[in-house]
Amino acid sequence: MRTIIKLTGDLHTLIMRDLARPHPFAAERVGFAFGRTCALRGSARLILLTNYHPVPDEQYIDDPAVGARIGPDALTWGMQAVYHGRLLREGIFHVHLHGHRGETGMSGVDRREIPALIPGFQSVGREAAHGIIILSLNHGSGWVWLPGSAECMHADGISVIGAPVQVFNRKARP
Amino acid sequence: MRADRYSRQSFLGSDAEERISNCTVGIVGLGGGGSHIVQQLAHIGFQHYVIYDDDRVEESNLNRLVGARSVDVPAGTPKLHLAKMMIFGLQPGAEVKAFGCRWQEDPEPLRECQIVFGCVDSYKGREELEVACRRYLMHYIDIGMDVHGKENPVIGGQVILSSPGGLCIRCMGFLTDEKLAQEAARYGTAGGRPQVIWPNGVLASTAVGLAVNLLTGWTRRALTHAYLSYDGNEATVKESITLKNRSAGSCAHFTETDVGDPVLVAL
Repeated sequence: MRTIIKLTGDLHTLIMRDLARPHPFAAERVGFAFGRTCALRGSARLILLTNYHPVPDEQYIDDPAVGARIGPDALTWGMQAVYHGRLLREGIFHVHLHGHRGETGMSGVDRREIPALIPGFQSVGREAAHGIIILSLNHGSGWVWLPGSAECMHADGISVIGAPVQVFNRKARP
Repeated sequence: MRADRYSRQSFLGSDAEERISNCTVGIVGLGGGGSHIVQQLAHIGFQHYVIYDDDRVEESNLNRLVGARSVDVPAGTPKLHLAKMMIFGLQPGAEVKAFGCRWQEDPEPLRECQIVFGCVDSYKGREELEVACRRYLMHYIDIGMDVHGKENPVIGGQVILSSPGGLCIRCMGFLTDEKLAQEAARYGTAGGRPQVIWPNGVLASTAVGLAVNLLTGWTRRALTHAYLSYDGNEATVKESITLKNRSAGSCAHFTETDVGDPVLVAL
């Protein structure tokens, strides 16, 4: 099923600036973006990101084994935000940055740890799509769990509607 | 051969070809303005199109419809067909999603676009298309021309860029409730309005230039909005005085959270 993610240039800039900030002890940063799902033709879906929330410094756990580990306060905040946005069917997307250029994918740690967060978000926002977005310095990839689905789909592309327009099409196949 | 094909536009940037070929463009209305736009986009290298037009070629179109031939009149060729011929003739591998209806009757494919060109005749049509572009995060580039007066005709026109987060066509002073009301009062009595090929060419070229700049950033001007006014008698395109005189500020008509499908919330 075709899935596309869109966000404005301003929101992309906000996210990139936030994720590039150094953290007192974590090697990378994490944030939450919120998105609404719309129909495209057939079964295809469009996810429109509306806003972004950085995870506050104090909600990280010091764990040198991973780039960043967020604690229960951050996850509780995320679940509450999904709950409050349920009438708009607004889902949550875990966002982080891989500091290289070109298309990016989930690392082993990403694969092991981030998808485990999704069922919690689904439990409070059943009608929304949730997911993961990993940005690189000039690209990005997304994974989307549609409402009620235990399986994720690799998004076909991310479009940044700004000046300039950026289209991050998925090229790599698993 | 491929390396040569775009060599004369290499100043657009080393990754311009990729940026252009990855972009999905929508063109709503394939008449005098839209037919020029399709032709130019295909020459430049665009590969993904979503196009709409429910009209067929008529005798009165031949003075300005790019790609139309005399035989298309008796054949009743759909304008959509001319656009597809133009695109595939230059870009055989292009992906073209073509709809012989009003875009409102099948709006979902349009939502995939990054840039939409509006080549529609009415203020109401412009308003509806801009709303869709805001809700589904697309740059909207509007073009239009008109001829006023019979004794001393004056050709005027506009090219407007309305981008999510930037000023809208109301903010820029182009669209007003008064214009919408006047148009509604005239509904059904308008008849065929004067149209000629060269203003459409100027306006379409200007619009395509804005789109290429949005994609490649070659001018180093990061535009969030634009309102360019065409004076066909003076042969000039200038920034609209209405926009120039407007005090700076943000859009008062669309918020950044008014995106996606409207949701009915039970009170």
